[in-house]
Amino acid sequence: MLRKGEAPGHQTPPHLHKDDGDDDDDAPSGFVKLISAEGFEFVVDKKAAMVSNTLRNMLTSPGGFSETREGEVRFPEISTPILEKICQYFYWSLHYSSGKETSEFQIEPEITLELMMAANYLDT
Amino acid sequence: MSGGGPPKKRNFKIELFKHRVELDPKYAERTWKVLEHAIHEIYNHNASGLSFEELYRSAYNMVLHKYGEKLYDGLERTMTWRLKEISKSIEAAQGGLFLEELNAKWMDHNKALQMIRDILMYMDRTYVPQSRRTPVHELGLNLWRDHIIHSPMIHSRLLDTLLDLIHRERMGEMINRGLMRSITKMLMDLGAAVYQDDFEKPFLDVTASFYSGESQEFIECCDCGNYLKKSERRLNEEMERVSHYLDAGTEAKITSVVEKEMIANHMHRLVHMENSGLVNMLVDDKYDDLARMYNLFRRVFDGLSTIRDVMTSYLRETGKQLVTDPERLKDPVEFVQRLLNEKDKHDKIINVAFGNDKTFQNALNSSFEYFINLNNRSPEFISLYVDDKLRKGLKGATEEDVEVILDKVMMLFRYLQEKDVFEKYYKQHLAKRLLSGKTVSDDAERSMIVKLKTECGYQFTSKLEGMFTDMKTSQDTMIDFYAKKSEELGDGPTLDVHILTTGSWPTQPCPPCNLPTEILAICDKFRTYYLGTHSGRRLTWQTNMGTADIKATFGKGQKHELNVSTYQMCVLMLFNSTDGLTYKDIEQDTAIPASDLKRCLQSLACVKGKNVLRKEPMSKDISEDDTFYFNDKFTSKLVKVKIGTVVAQKESEPEKQETRQRVEEDRKPQIEAAIVRIMKSRRVLDHNSIVAEVTKQLQARFMPNPVVIKKRIESLIEREFLERDKADRKLYRYLA
Repeated sequence: MLRKGEAPGHQTPPHLHKDDGDDDDDAPSGFVKLISAEGFEFVVDKKAAMVSNTLRNMLTSPGGFSETREGEVRFPEISTPILEKICQYFYWSLHYSSGKETSEFQIEPEITLELMMAANYLDT
Repeated sequence: MSGGGPPKKRNFKIELFKHRVELDPKYAERTWKVLEHAIHEIYNHNASGLSFEELYRSAYNMVLHKYGEKLYDGLERTMTWRLKEISKSIEAAQGGLFLEELNAKWMDHNKALQMIRDILMYMDRTYVPQSRRTPVHELGLNLWRDHIIHSPMIHSRLLDTLLDLIHRERMGEMINRGLMRSITKMLMDLGAAVYQDDFEKPFLDVTASFYSGESQEFIECCDCGNYLKKSERRLNEEMERVSHYLDAGTEAKITSVVEKEMIANHMHRLVHMENSGLVNMLVDDKYDDLARMYNLFRRVFDGLSTIRDVMTSYLRETGKQLVTDPERLKDPVEFVQRLLNEKDKHDKIINVAFGNDKTFQNALNSSFEYFINLNNRSPEFISLYVDDKLRKGLKGATEEDVEVILDKVMMLFRYLQEKDVFEKYYKQHLAKRLLSGKTVSDDAERSMIVKLKTECGYQFTSKLEGMFTDMKTSQDTMIDFYAKKSEELGDGPTLDVHILTTGSWPTQPCPPCNLPTEILAICDKFRTYYLGTHSGRRLTWQTNMGTADIKATFGKGQKHELNVSTYQMCVLMLFNSTDGLTYKDIEQDTAIPASDLKRCLQSLACVKGKNVLRKEPMSKDISEDDTFYFNDKFTSKLVKVKIGTVVAQKESEPEKQETRQRVEEDRKPQIEAAIVRIMKSRRVLDHNSIVAEVTKQLQARFMPNPVVIKKRIESLIEREFLERDKADRKLYRYLA
């Protein structure tokens, strides 16, 4: 987590950058950049990203795939709102599994299906 | 996504995720090509240009669009093709590079396999379980096993290379252990069965034949100690080998092979090896070799019992020689000291070399018990040993030393079966010590009695304690006697009387000798005094047990104080009135029993430096025709001359018989008491059971002889304590 005392279930956690102008390749090793179909970039903790098994494999695979090298992952089939929700979920899940009291994770009905598809894809 | 989402609304229609995939018939083929290319690139170490996400998405979509089978089969085909290529390059590797190449390729394959598994994860997760196919990683290992390890060109070459390297290492060469470790680990990764079938089994076979040969060679040219050293080293080497580059599960197997070939197969030959076997090690106190033997033999079945059996029979044999060697029996103190030394020696061996193994201690104890009881004089000798120690041996020793020695004696005592015989002798010896005031330390005496008491109970020592009480009472009585009667006594000789309770002391009724008149007077005074203070008692003089200090003046006027026994005093006093007496005269005048008289004359006339009497003719032994003269020419550097009686320290044959007879007599009432005790509670019992029970009750003191038990039963029947059952003659009934 970037900041202490932060409820991960908040609608717009301040540490999620919606900033497509940031082309810094050198993301710190503790972070990873997730890029939506529309090109929005989300910088999240590696630890959080690894809630997804797909991402975990991607980031730890020994061979040096481009993602591992560059620290960024493009999802041409996941739209920005869904990816944002996913990132929120990563943090929520970390918090939840740490055993702390956690409020329910809110999912708006209209994105449920798409979110489920993405979850399947990300093995989350 | 899991977790606390709200319940989903049911009116949602599940539809396919919006992959904009036209159902292009070429779609699957095209996507597979991408993936196939990627797999090749991965094997070519060229993965950095690939996008994981893209590949993952491709595989994901293929599975999603029911092309899972195509994907899986394609993977299998591609991997097989790659592995065949790899196999060729491994086969081509020359000599020593073979293993290197194999290992390098294995590393490559492993890494590639992991990457492939990662990008095909979705297939692994969904398609594989659904269609019951082998997961990707396992598939990769299986293919490696089938196309590399089991390839005819590699399979036997691999095994030979490994076995050859291990053999070279056994012969002292350095080999690349890291490489070995990787290869064996590879075999393990391919499955325990691969490791066992393709390596471990042949390895164990080769090891067995190697050590079978080597042990044969060693045993022909090495002594036992060296052989064991070599075996130990080999065993350690093999264990080290396992820890360095074999699977841990092999350790038990390989050590058991080495143990069998090096030890179990040669165990008996080793133990009995001439000039260097177990017995020699024991004799020479080779603690290191013995410890090595113990540690090696304990690994194999029957190993320790082999050592134990040989040790036991050795102990019994040497012990038997020790206790039956007539030379050794001459000096009881030396005899017991030897026993103790043997015990110490073997205790130390068991302690140092055999890790204080209980079974060995038991073997040692049973061996000692066996041979100590082979000699029926052991009880006497042990008592004599204590006697010696308590007389002089312990002078100046600290309390701890005394305790140590006494504890050791008690240990021997525990081995004795005839504890009552020991008691008998101990009582005699204690009596002598007390009466002659020769005890070094009262504390040591008491400590010994306490030990006997804890070992055998109150009954065993009550009389011994009674003796101590008598000594104390006598002292008080004498002080009182002199306090009251000193004016009556004048300048006459001083008397010191020990009043001994009959029964507590091993006194035998013996006719009192004729005391010199000087002594008789004071003796009578004491008798009057004593009977005056204690009514209803009877006093008998035990002249055979007393001592006297007398002053004598010799030819040139030199004066000596002689410390002699009462008998000797009686004899010497005769020479106050005459210079020469025949044996017969002396015997008549003193009325000393013949055997005692001879002994006392011998010590007066035949011991150089203490010969206050002169004997005609000069000879070592006393005969009834000898004549004795006062020896005018006696000289001594000492003013006080102690003339000991020539006591055969140990008993002579007839005395021994006598003691034994007394012991047998004493046993009778004990056996009878035991029979009555048993019958009182059982009422009816058959003969064999009685014998068994009596033996059980009494064995703490002695081993009753069944024949004697039978006699006692008969005697009890005669006296109407028991009767035979009317119907069954074997049954006895108790008559209240």
